[in-house]
Amino acid sequence: MQTKKIQHFVTQNAIYIVLAVLVIGIAVYDPSFIGVNTLRDILIQSSTRVIIALGVAFILITGGTDLSAGRMVGLTAVISASLLQVENYPRRFFPDLPHLPLLVPIAIAIVVGLIFGLINGLIVAKFKVPPFIATLGTMVAIYGINSLYFDTEPNQSQPIGGLRDDFTTLGSGSIGSGEFSLPYIVLIAVAVCYIVWVMFNKTRLGKNMYAIGGNEQAAKVSGINVTKNLIYIYSIAGALYGLAGVLEAARTGGATNNYGNMYELDAIAACVVGGVSTTGGIGTVPGVMAGVLIFTVINYGLTFVGVGPYWQQIIKGAIIVAAVAFDMRKYASRK
Amino acid sequence: MKKIGSALLAAALLGGVLAGCSAGGGGKESGGNGAAEPKVGVAIYKFDDTFMTGVRNSIEKNASGIAKVDIVDSQNSQPTQNDKIDLFLTKKTNALIVNPVDRTAAGVIIDKAKAKETPVVFLNREPLPEDMKKWDKVYYVGAKAEESGTLSGQIVVDYWKANPKADKNGDGVLQYVMLKGEPGHQDAELRTQYSIQAVEDAGIKVEKVAEDTAMWDRVKGQEKMAAFLAANGDKIEAVFANNDDMALGAIEALKAAGYFTGDKYMPVVGVDATAPALQALEQGTMLGTVLNDAENQGKAAVTLASLLAKGGEVNKDSVGFEITDNQYVWIPYQKVTKENAAQFK
Repeated sequence: MQTKKIQHFVTQNAIYIVLAVLVIGIAVYDPSFIGVNTLRDILIQSSTRVIIALGVAFILITGGTDLSAGRMVGLTAVISASLLQVENYPRRFFPDLPHLPLLVPIAIAIVVGLIFGLINGLIVAKFKVPPFIATLGTMVAIYGINSLYFDTEPNQSQPIGGLRDDFTTLGSGSIGSGEFSLPYIVLIAVAVCYIVWVMFNKTRLGKNMYAIGGNEQAAKVSGINVTKNLIYIYSIAGALYGLAGVLEAARTGGATNNYGNMYELDAIAACVVGGVSTTGGIGTVPGVMAGVLIFTVINYGLTFVGVGPYWQQIIKGAIIVAAVAFDMRKYASRK
Repeated sequence: MKKIGSALLAAALLGGVLAGCSAGGGGKESGGNGAAEPKVGVAIYKFDDTFMTGVRNSIEKNASGIAKVDIVDSQNSQPTQNDKIDLFLTKKTNALIVNPVDRTAAGVIIDKAKAKETPVVFLNREPLPEDMKKWDKVYYVGAKAEESGTLSGQIVVDYWKANPKADKNGDGVLQYVMLKGEPGHQDAELRTQYSIQAVEDAGIKVEKVAEDTAMWDRVKGQEKMAAFLAANGDKIEAVFANNDDMALGAIEALKAAGYFTGDKYMPVVGVDATAPALQALEQGTMLGTVLNDAENQGKAAVTLASLLAKGGEVNKDSVGFEITDNQYVWIPYQKVTKENAAQFK
């Protein structure tokens, strides 16, 4: 019995164990890895990623997928940056734009994300285009739209810089200072995680999402309006990408149309490693958070101890495949 | 069985990490004998850029004995680069060398570095002047793009003056065609403008027979040149290309039209001094090219970073390169022709 309990614990908590093994492995190699500053760096670097990954998780759990996430991040990064430049910057995107309250451009960017999410939802739910194809299409088109916007006079495809201090503070500032300061961006990410957790677990939309992903036909038969729910879910995901785009621009103090490139694959990988099933119906917020943290620990920790970039890619790839293989065993053993 | 499986997985992952450490760790850090060498974090905009790979190799080579360098790949993404810089600052790296992905992002990087009192040397992509003014421990090492144009123009001037026959129709005016890089690209515009200006500054009258973009591409260079030849024939007296690939494409088109056999010759100039271009120089098909000096850019950057990390005085003697406006080190381009091609191989 005892072995069975341990066995159960290990299968159910595999990702957290992997995370712990990674951290311990790196710390053994270089003890200075354990510290408040490295922890803060890892949390900051996970912040935008977890917001994107939660958006993708919504869609994966319904049994769909979203390839347009990264390009939406890029579009909303460019939009928010273009509206938040200092007045005396020599190359302003909108030379005569007045000083807007900080929340206005942020809201605009989030709404733009929501609208493109809505479009994804309509294509998938109304026109029954498979999500992979639908979002492949919007991924390409959104980059085109972003490039077009980025290329307008007088900007002409120049990187957008000279962002306002109140905006960049959002990305790189913190409450308090020194050892125990709390970065705003981490607080925002934690708040988003909490809200999404509530949506997943305490709302009708969350229940419907799991039901649709588990068995779409059964969900329909039991009276769930699948079309409406899918459109809502894709729109929420779009809004999350919008917020992530805003934070990427704030964090780096600039934006180009190349921002967010391939982020969707990082997000899907983090979800999958965090136990979200690509066939739908399964996935939790803490799992996604752990999945994101695993990749940040790999990115950050392996660079920290001086592992070359090519080796990092190999290790990342191995972890993705191993995690899914392990997950498959979990469900296979249940049957 | 399942327990063994999960134990194996964990072991495999840990094993992978540690194997990666030992395999990657050794190559990235040079020197490593003694604590006197300052730690310098280097963030390159992307590892698969040919020119920056040259600079990267030079940094590693020249760091020996003066700094422990840790070089990372920003994967052509500014957010990734910022993450790497945060990491360096947390590790208390003594100085940074940053080759920005996006030059306007330098402001945020300078703020971060200044907060941690870590000097920064920017490399190859010049931050905006107002960002450079934020802190006096910020330097820039790079080349002046317009100079590559000026030097390629001068190569043609030298040829023109040395060979009276170069003026094929004897009208005293240089008829030329221009193969441009990507439209709007800063290098393309500057090279086009300054190469012709160098010819005019030498007192030679010019006439533009044709100009078109070949998108830095060899195949397109060949196609455009073939079209120029078909339209203008022997009227063309010189070919300017914004880079070597397009120049080499043009040479192929010229060969097809019977040039470079007997005494039928056309002066063609490019920029970059790539390996195929050096070969073309030796074969006598390309007249000249211009080298962006990766070796000295890397050397200047790492020497400067090491000095700043140690808090040493920065001047021409200590760095080995001229410092302009207290913050800039301009590395000159070099003319490459048949005579000196061998030394750049």
